[in-house]
Formats: sequence, structure tokens, C-alpha cells
Amino acid sequence: MSEYVLELKGITKIFPGVKALNNVQFQLKPGEVHALMGENGAGKSTFIKVITGVHKAEEGEMFLNGQKVDFKGPKDAQAAGIAAVYQHPTSYPHLTVAENIFMGHEIIKNRMIQWKAMNTEANKLLKQLDADFDATAEMGTLSVAQQQMVEIAKAMSTNARIIILDEPTAALTRSESEKLYTLVDKLKADGVSIIFISHRFEDMYRLASRVTVFRDSQYIGTYDVDGITNADLIKAMVGREIKDLFPKPEVKLGDEMLKVENLSRTGYFKDVSFSVRAGEILGLTGLVGAGRTETVEAVCGITQPDSGKVYLEGKEVHIKKPSDAMEKGIILLPEDRQKEGLIMSWGLGRNVTLPTISKYAKNGINDEKTERDLAKKLLEEVDTKAVDIFQPASSLSGGNQQKVVVAKALSQEMKVVIMDEPTKGVDVGAKAEIYAIMGDLAKKGYAIILISSEMPEILGMADRIVVMCNGRKTGELNRGDATQERILELAMEKGHTGGAE
Amino acid sequence: MEKKSVMKKITGSREALLAIVLIVLFVIITAINPSFLTPKSLMDMLKNNAVTMVMSLGMLCVMLVGGIDISIMSTLALSGMSIGMLLKYEHISSTFLAFVIAIAIGIVCGAVVGLIISRADVPPIIATMGFMYIYRALGYQVSHGGEWASAAALGEFKNFATTKFLGLNCVIWVIIVCYVFFFWFMKWTRTGRMIYAVGSNPSAAEVSGINVKNIKLLVYTIMGLLAGLGGALQVSVYASAMPDMQYGGEMDVIAACVIGGVSMSGGRGTVVGALLGSLILATIAKALPLIPFFNQLWLNTIKGVIILVVVVMNVILQRIADKNALKGREM
Amino acid sequence: MAGKSGRSINNVPESPVKKMIFSWEGILVLLFIAVNIFCAMFSEYYNMSSLLRQMPVYLAEVFMMLPMAYILVLGEIDISVGAIVCLSATMSCIVCNTNAPFIVVVITALGVGTICGAVNGFILTKFQELPPMIVTLATQIIFRGISEIVLGSGGSISASNTDGFRAIGGKVGDVPYILFLVVILSVIFAVILGKSTFGRRVYAIGTNRLTAYYSGVHVQKIRFIIYTIMGTVSGLCALFLVSSSYGANTTTGNGFEMDAIAMAVFGGISSTGGKGNIAGGFISAFIIVCLRVGLGQRNVNAQVILLIIGILLIAAVALPNIIGNAKKALSMKKN
Repeated sequence: MSEYVLELKGITKIFPGVKALNNVQFQLKPGEVHALMGENGAGKSTFIKVITGVHKAEEGEMFLNGQKVDFKGPKDAQAAGIAAVYQHPTSYPHLTVAENIFMGHEIIKNRMIQWKAMNTEANKLLKQLDADFDATAEMGTLSVAQQQMVEIAKAMSTNARIIILDEPTAALTRSESEKLYTLVDKLKADGVSIIFISHRFEDMYRLASRVTVFRDSQYIGTYDVDGITNADLIKAMVGREIKDLFPKPEVKLGDEMLKVENLSRTGYFKDVSFSVRAGEILGLTGLVGAGRTETVEAVCGITQPDSGKVYLEGKEVHIKKPSDAMEKGIILLPEDRQKEGLIMSWGLGRNVTLPTISKYAKNGINDEKTERDLAKKLLEEVDTKAVDIFQPASSLSGGNQQKVVVAKALSQEMKVVIMDEPTKGVDVGAKAEIYAIMGDLAKKGYAIILISSEMPEILGMADRIVVMCNGRKTGELNRGDATQERILELAMEKGHTGGAE
Repeated sequence: MEKKSVMKKITGSREALLAIVLIVLFVIITAINPSFLTPKSLMDMLKNNAVTMVMSLGMLCVMLVGGIDISIMSTLALSGMSIGMLLKYEHISSTFLAFVIAIAIGIVCGAVVGLIISRADVPPIIATMGFMYIYRALGYQVSHGGEWASAAALGEFKNFATTKFLGLNCVIWVIIVCYVFFFWFMKWTRTGRMIYAVGSNPSAAEVSGINVKNIKLLVYTIMGLLAGLGGALQVSVYASAMPDMQYGGEMDVIAACVIGGVSMSGGRGTVVGALLGSLILATIAKALPLIPFFNQLWLNTIKGVIILVVVVMNVILQRIADKNALKGREM
Repeated sequence: MAGKSGRSINNVPESPVKKMIFSWEGILVLLFIAVNIFCAMFSEYYNMSSLLRQMPVYLAEVFMMLPMAYILVLGEIDISVGAIVCLSATMSCIVCNTNAPFIVVVITALGVGTICGAVNGFILTKFQELPPMIVTLATQIIFRGISEIVLGSGGSISASNTDGFRAIGGKVGDVPYILFLVVILSVIFAVILGKSTFGRRVYAIGTNRLTAYYSGVHVQKIRFIIYTIMGTVSGLCALFLVSSSYGANTTTGNGFEMDAIAMAVFGGISSTGGKGNIAGGFISAFIIVCLRVGLGQRNVNAQVILLIIGILLIAAVALPNIIGNAKKALSMKKN
């Protein structure tokens, strides 16, 4: 018998153009809770998918209880007793809890589903988990926390010996998280081994005995939780030098352009205030789910805030629709390029001119010549790697797609440009180009809000940094005062800020 | 939290709500006209609505996977007309055989629709709209361009709807058997639950190894089967077969399901709901002539308004529920 | 700007002629010619003058295809339009029988249609969560139901004062007014959809509603306008329908929604949104009209024509998908 219940060695996983995992290793002891930490994009999710058989690694070996295993698909992993609980439960919202737990392995007798037996079994599992709902409840009526509990029960019903929890606390409130902790303790007491992915130190300290850190698709190290300080761990997670990737120009700041005062939207964010000046880049950061995107969406009229005020150049503005925002000079370049930013099947030119077509149309009829010229000019201005303006947006790489999104903002007179995760899924070369464009925009006097989860990007580009956590602003730092550690602290601050709740 | 539980009760016990509505309807109508609540009157009501009631079960399955089928009344006409002509020209005389043939034609029609939808990815509304034309036209061809098969031509067959078995009309037995079977099938078999799973979350169903395409094929085939059965019932109950029978009747079937709480986007709906929905429709149709000012002509308008009110109410209730859920989030 | 690599991006479009020949519209034109040759061989009476004489009955439906194309491009559907035709035909007959001036009759027909369309648009934009299919299904029952109530137990009405209707059923030489109107409206609808800002936004909504919304397109306003216009055009259709039958009954406009959708879909307008143009719908509409006239001349049952339309509708959507799936399967095997 091996010392480890699960061991992976030299795992390398290559996606077209990227090494998502580069020679990483991992050991899981029987009955331990092992935290897996790292920044967004460090390769944690890919690694989990390799363990659960969703992805197949190009190189490396995996051992289960000392035996070499080779999973062909998710079913193999399930059969081997490995179950994963994802951040967004993949359940059937219209069916009952019991059905969700037993989907695929229903209790059948004489070709009849044994509801009673299934409900009893499910309730037994739920009782073990100390759940406050019944097996006959409809899945869709449960909260995210409760749905996660069902997923855990499902894992238990298949007698999983290794359970992977992927950012389980990200969508949970403080008291819900507490409940999850107790649950994990219980599983641990039953001898189940748990891999726990989280961005939150609180989770790690509370639950894990050991922690493995990934960074830039590589294995950094495994540490005893008791033996490592907070600061050392952060260093391990982010510890990369910021190079000349960020050509932040010195810009003389102008007048205040946009000011947001006590903006609130029930359930999403509360009392958020910030302002940005002409030529300034304001960084807006926090963990995923902190309410950053929701806040700027409310500023731009995508959704309606419940209370709060927005001022543009000192005058209060009422923005009801995205078109209102654009008319006044505020544009949001959304995070999801494929769903919100671009029409993927359309040519680049039409994408660029979509927000402004009416401006140069004559009597409502499009002036296609002007449109083409404008599209060419703008696409060349942001240096898009494209052959012509008619090729579909889907034919470009992520970085170039982002440039097209930026070109959309340039097609009209704008005062405030809000960029939501502009470099997500973009390779390093294109990143530098996008930063350069951002710098140029600032030089031209645009006020820029940069939403990003990437620490180096925020530190490298922003003049001022607003940090949000759990729907609230937890701090504001000037360029000079900001450090990665300070930002992480503010972003992970929870519960004990300004008397929340 | 308290508000949420009240909401849950309203949305959760839809069947109870419908049953109350049905009882209230019964009470009001009986108060106006006591002859309504006699066994004969009720039996007549069931018999006359047998087609809609039986076919609601098929529509339930189709709508559970997020589909729709508006070709069903053309399938009904084709299968009903076929047996009508076979009986008229004395190719067959057995009632049992007539039922088997009608059902077989229905199955084939439904399977073709299912294949086009599941294998060629044609949106259900477009595909069934096309088949609505095609099957209706085939029905006309079968009828030699518009011939009827009248009561005299149907021979023994029409007696099916007037014969009693254990004190109950045979048509009503068919309804009972269908509902009992489907109640069992949808709730207690793995296949039945797969239909729910596919409608609730198709991608999750795919991942957990359910063949989504085959389930879709299955539901349209079930729908066809019941439409074929409906064809035989229609011919028998009205003692005649004509190519344009039940024109537009698919709306009644869809309406019964929508009123019964079957969701258009899939995943939600029960056999009991379909039963109550079609009973409520049947009761309104029966009661309307009894109420002053209204008359039979108002029937369709009222049906339409009910559908609209039901779907709009669903949206409003959902919005309130979502809002309350957000309020519960701590920050 | 920064990072200038001096790269030049081409912005000269391909020659439109080359594009046209290899398009679905090109195939449709060939099909149109083929259908006319077939009809001429099938029926000895089939010629220009008989075509022009018998066409108007079928042309009224071509109107409906135009706004239906917009709705399909949006990725939506409206199955209440046949019932709107019925209601506006009924109302215009009633107004006509009060001896009101004909202009009032026209306003009634268009007005009733517009109101019905606006009701659809209102419900669909206020409750965006609702699928258009179920809403228009319900309003279909309601609109036709109201006609049934208005028409009473007889179920039909005939227009007693037919002068006005006769006038709009008139001709210039051999060419009926309605043909002019169909062509003019088609051009207007084609230009708006293909060349105007409004049309571009319709495509944007139909292809990616969210991106359109983020880009400042007034999604709900545009949807409302289109459903309302769908109603207005249904009213127009009703007017011409009455001008050929001098009356209305509870089955007036039955199945018009199917015909309009079939014409549009067969013309290459995707039922899932974002694709197709009026030209394709226009040609396919005339293929169907010619086919109806030609087959009708030899007393081919109307049901056979419906059968053909049904097959065309399904084949137009299914064939490309089947071919696409087969291609995919083949390339999978190769790898």
C-alpha cells in the first residue's frame, strides 16, 4: 500500500498554443484535506479535469492507491471513486433532490423506480450532511449552497473516496461557508480524502492540513499549512517579477469625468463609490464574484441600480439603457467577448461600426463606403492582425478579438471607457499590445476603468486601485502604496469590514 | 425566508391550485344549472373531450423536452380518415383491427416527425408546421379528395363509443387506461424520468450518458401514437370521419398542457397537471352556454385569455421569487 | 497609435455578381424558371395573361412574408397573423356595411391589424422571458375568437358596399394594382432590411441579442416596432383578401402564418435568426404563387399544393442540416 491515495507525476497538458500544465505533481494522503491554490489561470481547473478524466494529459502518470490508472473518460474516474463538485452545480433544476442524487444509478426493482427507497437513502445521506432540506424538495428551489450539498451527497452515494471541491465557497455567504466547513470535517472524519480549491486563505486555514501551489501552469511547492506564513504563501502564488510588460505613460490628470456615489443593487453590490479623472486609469479589482462587473453594468445602464447616483463631468446623469450611456460618452467593453462583445459570425467591419451606424447613415440608409473606410482606419489604429474587414470575428485569436472590441469604443467620441477583463484568455504578446493601446487612450484624455483579477496588470497599469469584496468596496489604494499583498488582503477581507450585514 | 416559503407553496403545489379551480368551477356551474352535476352529463363531457384529454399526455411529453407539435390534428385526421375509408369500403370490419391500424399510422407519422426534429435539427415548430400540411393533405388523398365516411358506413365501429364495459363507456375506459399508464410511465420508469432529465438540463443529460436524440424521437413517436389513437376515438365518438376533422384542435391540447402547468421551455409538468388542465378546459366549454351573456362563441377567446394569463402570471411569480432570493443574500 | 506595424487591412468588397451566382437566391431564380416551364407544360392555359388574372388571390399572402421575414431574422416567430387577417377582414366588412366612406374602411383594416400587432409586441417586450410562440399562439386564439364573437352564429359576413373593394382590385392594363403594391412593398422592406441602420440592427439582434444590447441597440423597441408592422401588413392583406371575396368568415386567413413562414424559410431566411434576405423570400413567394396558379388551372386539389409547400418548408431547413452533419461525420472519420 502506497503512502498516497492519489499521486500524479509529471503531468503535462497542452491545448492548442498553450501549455496549460507543465510537468506538475501532486500527492494526496488518505483522509486529508489538501488545498490547491494559485491565481486565476494557474492551471488548477485543468488539473482537476485531468484527475476526473475529462481531459487526457499528454504526459505524466497517475496512481490510485499505488496502482497506475489511465482514465478514458469521466465514467472511469467515477467508477474509481473520484467525484468532483463544481462551483456551479450541474444539476437538473426541475427534479427532486433524491433524483438528482441518484441520476444514472436509480434504485430499480421490477423495472419500477423505488421512490420510497430513494428518498429514504437520500435523506440518510442528507442527514449525515446535516442538511436543512428534504430529499423531495425541488432542486431549483434550493440555494447554491444547498445545491452543492446535494452534489456532495451525490458523490457520497457513489461511494467516492476522493472528493474534489472546486471553489465551493465562491458563491456562498459567510454562514453558508461555515456550514460547508463542518461538512468537510465530517467527510474527513469518515476517511474521505478531499482536494479543496479556493482563493480564500480563510478556507485553507480552517480546513486543510497541506497546501499545494500552482503558478503559471507549473508546480511551485507543497507546504504544511501550519508551517507557512500568509506572506510566504502569497509570494508563492504571485511571486513573479513585473517586467516591462506595462508601458504606463506619465499622463497629466485632467478633471474628474465619472463619479459614482453609493451605488447599490440588491443582492449584487452595496454602497459602492468611486471616481475617475480624464487621463487616469482606475483599477477595479477583487475576487471573482465580488460584484465588480455588476457595478459597472449598472453604471452603463445594462442593469438598473436600486439606489445611488452617477455624475458625468460634475452633472448627475440618469442612464437607463446602454445606448444612453454611449450617447453621453461612457462605453463598457464587456468581459465575455463571444457572448457580449462581438457578433462572432459577422465581419470585423460590421462589428466595429455596430454602435455607431446611425451616426453616418443618410436618411437611415447605411453609407457603406464610409463605414468600410472607418472600419479600416479603426482596425488599423489598434493594429488588428486581420487580412480584411470582412473576415468573421471568430477567425481571430482572443487578443485580436479584444482589439476589435476596443476599436468599437474608438468608433465614437467617448469620455469614459470601461474595460472588463480585457486580457482574459489573451497571450502575453497581445497583452502587451492591449496595454499599449490602453496607455494611448489615457494619453488622449480618456478616463479608463480597468476591471481585472490579474494582480500584475492592475499594479502595472492603474493609477489608483479600488478593491471590492463580496459586493462592497473594501479599500482604495494609490499607485505608490499598492502591493500585491495589500490588494490580496483587501480582496479577501470578509465579514469584518465596515459593519456589513 | 418566510416570503420565500409562501412563494414555494404557491408555485410548488400547482396541482392543488388547479384542483381547487376545478372544484370552484363545478360548484358555480352546478349552482347555475343543477343538471350539470349528473353522471350522464359528466360522462358526456368526458366522452366529448376524450381526444383532447388523451392527446394532452403526448403533448406533455413533447413539451417536457422543450418541444412542440402542431401537426397532431393532421395525424389524427390521416389515421381517422384511413380507418374510416377502410371500413367504408369494407376492407376491414373488426373494431380492434381499426384501432390497431389507426395507432400504427400514428406511430409512423410521429416517428417521421421525431426523426426530422432529432436527426436533422429542424426546429420543432417549423417541422411540425410542415407536417401539419403534409399529413392533412395525405388525409384528403385518402378520402379521395373530400369524401366522408358517415355513420352508416362505419358499421360496428361506431358502437365502440356507445358500448359500456363494467358500467362505464368504453371511451372513458380508454382515457382511464391512458392516464394510469402514463402516470406510471412518467413517474416510475427510468425512461419517463429521462424525459424529465432531458428537458431539465439537456447538456447534463448528455454528459450522464442519456441519448438525448433518441429521447426526442421517442416523445414525438408517443405523440404520434396518441394522435393515432385520438383519430380512432374521434371517428368513433362522432360516428363519422372527414378529412378536416379537428382542424385547429392542437391549440386545445397545447392549452390544456399550459393551463396544467407544463412549461414551454421544458422540464416542468406532470400527468396530473395535464389531466386537470384538460378537465378545466372541458368544463369551461361545457359551462359557457349555461352562463348568461356568454355563449359558445366566446369559448375560444376565453381559452386564449386563460393561456395568456397563465403564462404571464408564471413570469410575474418567477420575478418576485428571484427578487426575494436576492434580498436574502448577505453582503 | 502604439504598436503600429503598418499593417494594412483590406476593405474592398468582393464583386457582388460573383457572390450572387453561387447563392441560394441564384438557385431560387433557376427554380423559378423551372417551375414556370413546368407549369406551362402542365397546363395549356398557363401564360402571362392568365397568370396576371389569377395571381391576385395568392398575392395577398406575399405581403405577409415581408414582415414575417423580419421576425424570423430576429430569431422569433408570429403565428397569430392569420387570425389578425381574419379579425381585420371582419371589422372592415362591418365598417363597410355601415356605408362609411372607403377610406374609413381602409383605416379600420390597417388600424385593427396594427393594434393586434402592437398587443403582441407589448406583451413580448414587457415579458421578455416569454417565448413568442406561446404568446402568439394565445393571441391567435383570442383574435380569431373575437372574430367569432363579432360574426355571431352565422360565422360569416359579406360586404354590401363593394365599390371601394372593387376599386383596389382593379388593374392598369393587364397588371393588377396588388402586384404593383407587392413589388413596391418588397423593395421597401428589402432596402430597409438590407441597407438601413434599422435592418442592420435587426440582424444584430437575431445573431447575438446580448452583444446587440451591449452595443447600444434598442432591442425591445425594435422588436415592438416589427411586431406592430406585422399587424399592419396583416391588415393590408385582409383588405385585399376582402377585395377578392367581398366578405369574411371565421376561417378567413387560416394557415396564412404557415404560408408566410414557409415562403420566408424556403427563401433562405433562417428560422433561428440572423440569416437571409427579402430577395430570397420574394423569389420563393413567386415560385409558390406560380405553382398555385399553374396547378390550380388543371384543378389540382389545393391540398396537394399544401403538401408541396409543407415538403418545401421542411426540406429547406432539413437538407442543409443533414448535409452539414454528414460532412462533419465524414471529417471526424478521416481524423
